[in-house]
Amino acid sequence: MVRVTGNFQSESPLHPKAFDVLHAAFDSGWADAAKLSQSSAKARQLKNNALESIASALSVGVDSIVPVLPTSLGYFLGIQGLFLDSSTLIHGATDRKDVFAIAAKNPHQVLISALDGKLIPADAAAKESVLALQIANAETGVIQECDAIIASTQSERIFLDATSSGIRVPVANQFSTALFDSKSWYGPAEIGILVLKKPSQWSNPLPHLNAAHPNFDVSLPLLLASAVALENFATEVETANTQARKYNHELRSAFSQVKDADIAGPLDSSLAHMLSVSFLNCNGEELLRAIQNDGYSVDSGSACTADDLQPSHVLAAMGVLTHGNIRITIHPDTTKAEIDGLCASVIKSVSGLRQ
Amino acid sequence: MKEIDARGLRCPQPIIELGKEVSFMHAGDQVMLHSDDPATEPDLVAWSRMTGNVFDKKSKDSFVITKLSER
Repeated sequence: MVRVTGNFQSESPLHPKAFDVLHAAFDSGWADAAKLSQSSAKARQLKNNALESIASALSVGVDSIVPVLPTSLGYFLGIQGLFLDSSTLIHGATDRKDVFAIAAKNPHQVLISALDGKLIPADAAAKESVLALQIANAETGVIQECDAIIASTQSERIFLDATSSGIRVPVANQFSTALFDSKSWYGPAEIGILVLKKPSQWSNPLPHLNAAHPNFDVSLPLLLASAVALENFATEVETANTQARKYNHELRSAFSQVKDADIAGPLDSSLAHMLSVSFLNCNGEELLRAIQNDGYSVDSGSACTADDLQPSHVLAAMGVLTHGNIRITIHPDTTKAEIDGLCASVIKSVSGLRQ
Repeated sequence: MKEIDARGLRCPQPIIELGKEVSFMHAGDQVMLHSDDPATEPDLVAWSRMTGNVFDKKSKDSFVITKLSER
């Protein structure tokens, strides 16, 4: 088996600083922060420090932060919690499946996507409608023009999905709730950070006895690791974006020379570290394996790589080719040699599979 | 009109079979593609844009493709 030397999947190892803190956090942050013991007081202090650190990095008040586990629970809390009896959910055709699942249980309207991945703004809706917007797409990296869409719908109840964009893209000014994913800043997976910016518009949609600030008991060591990863990535994000944009441009330039390559969304309106490209007449699974054999791991949105054999709803909504698809994530530690190697492997593999 | 029966084939095979047939056609010629693969319809949208041809959905699993471009 070929040793994988280049990781271009969306998952990545923890931020090194978060990894360092994790062991110590399990040692000192094991107690229940809600109890009265000395250990609990220490755990409580660690938790408060972590929440303050996260709030500061996200530029929101510490009282508005609600850690959730798993991240997908944050979609339900953040969207359903904004609903009034008369609300309709307005959301994008390229949203995550979690949003579609909530829409299926409520009156809803879907904003369609243009070929470049940008949602087409809707006509003005009732003020009590709930608008769920993705800041950047998890498959293509396409960044939405949130302010324009918010202005067009005139909805006052706005959920922002920042799980992919994290701190790489500024959050729109006007929102009610927002969801971040610790993974986006190289923290532990499945730690979500729900921000309740306008608590008066939100009510806990889960069965509860205490209507006060919700607490979902996220693992304290994981929360501490997430806070440390965020604190450190915040100092690196600008450099990471600049480097990724350069590499992304190189990959796009090379792939655009390949016959019948379909790149999803332009770089100037996409996350700098993400790229989705489909090659006509190529089998996505075979392409993935061929690249893997050269030592590079990538993701794919092709139907043949999905458990349910369904094509990517994101690519389908954009009108981009769904087969022969690979998704590339450029990480802060990605090297120029890895980019060159991946590029050569993809071009060689596509050519080989088409023969 | 020639017909391609790609039912039971999974992506990208229906589009590959279509591409082979279209390469022998002339501008204005049509072909009927039968495919029950869920990726075929979205891929026909992209394929039409990329190749300059058009398609018309006739039923859940049947599409008429008209060659417009000589590429």
